[in-house]
Amino acid sequence: MIINWGQVLFNSAVTGSLYFIATVGLTSTYGLSRFPNVAHAEFVTLGAFLGYLVTQQLGWDYPVGIAVALLGSGLVGLVSYRAVFQPLARRGATMIHLAIASIGLGLVLRHIMGQIWGWAPLSFRVTWASFDIGPVRVTGLWLWIILAALVLAGVMHFMLTQTKLGKAIRATSFNPDLALASGINISRVTLTTWFMGAALAGVAGLFKGAMAKIDPLLGWEILLPAFAVTILGGVGSFYGAIVAAYIIGFTENIGVVFLANLGISTEYRMAIAFIILILTLIFRPSGLARSFGGS
Amino acid sequence: MDLSMYFFDVIIFIGIFGILALSLNLEYGFTGLVNFGKVAFFLVGAYVFAVMARFGIPLVLCFLGGALLAAALGLLVSLPALRLRLDYLAIATLALGEILRIVVKAEHWIAGGVWGTPVPAAISWVGASNQALALGDAALVYFCLFLSFIFLQLLTNSPYGRVIRAIREDEIAAEALGKDRLKYKAQVFMLGSALAGLAGGLYAQHLRFISPDMFMPMVTFWVWTMIILGGPANTRGALLGALVVEAFIRGIRIAKDFVHLPVDPYNLQYMLLGLAVILVLMYRPQGLLKESGVRTKAKEVALARAKGSGSS
Repeated sequence: MIINWGQVLFNSAVTGSLYFIATVGLTSTYGLSRFPNVAHAEFVTLGAFLGYLVTQQLGWDYPVGIAVALLGSGLVGLVSYRAVFQPLARRGATMIHLAIASIGLGLVLRHIMGQIWGWAPLSFRVTWASFDIGPVRVTGLWLWIILAALVLAGVMHFMLTQTKLGKAIRATSFNPDLALASGINISRVTLTTWFMGAALAGVAGLFKGAMAKIDPLLGWEILLPAFAVTILGGVGSFYGAIVAAYIIGFTENIGVVFLANLGISTEYRMAIAFIILILTLIFRPSGLARSFGGS
Repeated sequence: MDLSMYFFDVIIFIGIFGILALSLNLEYGFTGLVNFGKVAFFLVGAYVFAVMARFGIPLVLCFLGGALLAAALGLLVSLPALRLRLDYLAIATLALGEILRIVVKAEHWIAGGVWGTPVPAAISWVGASNQALALGDAALVYFCLFLSFIFLQLLTNSPYGRVIRAIREDEIAAEALGKDRLKYKAQVFMLGSALAGLAGGLYAQHLRFISPDMFMPMVTFWVWTMIILGGPANTRGALLGALVVEAFIRGIRIAKDFVHLPVDPYNLQYMLLGLAVILVLMYRPQGLLKESGVRTKAKEVALARAKGSGSS
């Protein structure tokens, strides 16, 4: 069996970067608000559709598309928290009630998008030429995705360790009561986190949409891998999410090569992340987070 | 499709989803188990039924086979899964449902892979009209629903019902009182899975066709919607939820023929259902029907005695 390791590693970097950008918001809202937000899938989808609207329907450039996806998804995330999850939490809703409400919200958002853009798959006009670097075939888009993830990781690391807001986010995630007692404005921290998380999900959606096709179920295809990254990395752990995203990206890509060589259907590609998810829950529910000493 | 057939179709769907709602209600409503992968057990029931029926195995055995295999899967899953925190259990079961769907999609030899497979008519006799066959279908579904309902009413109003509610409220306390919580949870999970498997068999039997696309995670959320609206831990509430949700969906599909809707009815029904779930959780988290207290002989006697001593 001949494996083009360069290509596998490069593809893993692309998949991992996409999962990382998509998961940052999911894991941080999960850690902070303490429930799995299923509507995160719709924040991803919305970014894809907004990007499509700007770059394809209006014919503007990709940077504008990214900005609109960022702001649009971020705002919807912010409003979702303010209008649905915060009032529910104040009424003493359980974690499961919040999760179910997020499914309800996801349904509303998904079908609003289905109403606006329809259910037939839409495609971005291909504007990304592919070229070879040595034995590895790449496209400009894939390089942009990797670059975006690197920049994001750097910015987030700087923010979490050096800025007041970042420290407040870590403190609130670690112990909300103590954070409140220390004079941290928890409500503002939470709102900021929801905005940023959903905004990044929107960017991930735009990238995913630009790679293939978009329809209202686009976010669903990323949601379960994103949950796998969240759990493997440890809920709420930013550094765990980085490592987990690339582990799962690599496992998926090497898995596909093996599946194809063993003559097994590559449909199972999707199942790989789910199996990692279940195994992590059974054997190490706290994920990798403990290896990084918190945050 | 003429009107009477449509009517039968609605009735049968309410019945099948009623069984699913009862099964989820046993798990979540009474025992507090969060199963976001109900569709996995539904799928197993449907596929086992389809495969067995193709070999000409008697109808009853096909249903039993589906229910038993679903129960076996439930047991297998419950052993590791039930030790998990509630939200992790939810995510793990959600992933399980997707894995099973990928398996039946990828393995063409099971039942046609992505294209699905026709299911031979289980109820048929020579010269019967469509209506008569549909009536037979409906009778079968409601017979199963009736048995499930009676069984769950008896179960949840027995001492067993008290134990599983105790586990839901505080499993550590229940354990401290000598109740093996894992054993009870595993039993409930098996039972709920068996019911879902039975519903899956009925579903395949009614539609005469199954394909992986019919077992999307959405099916699980339909059932959750029914439970949340109807009222968890209330067997009647679960059935009411199934009735309300199904009637609502059909109502919108019918309404589009009479009034001009500005929104596509398919999109509209999901938007409204999603909204309804959020509003119910916000303003009436106990659902339409509140949890009914346990009714056991001992409790009746105790209540009667308390009443007697109060008045004398």
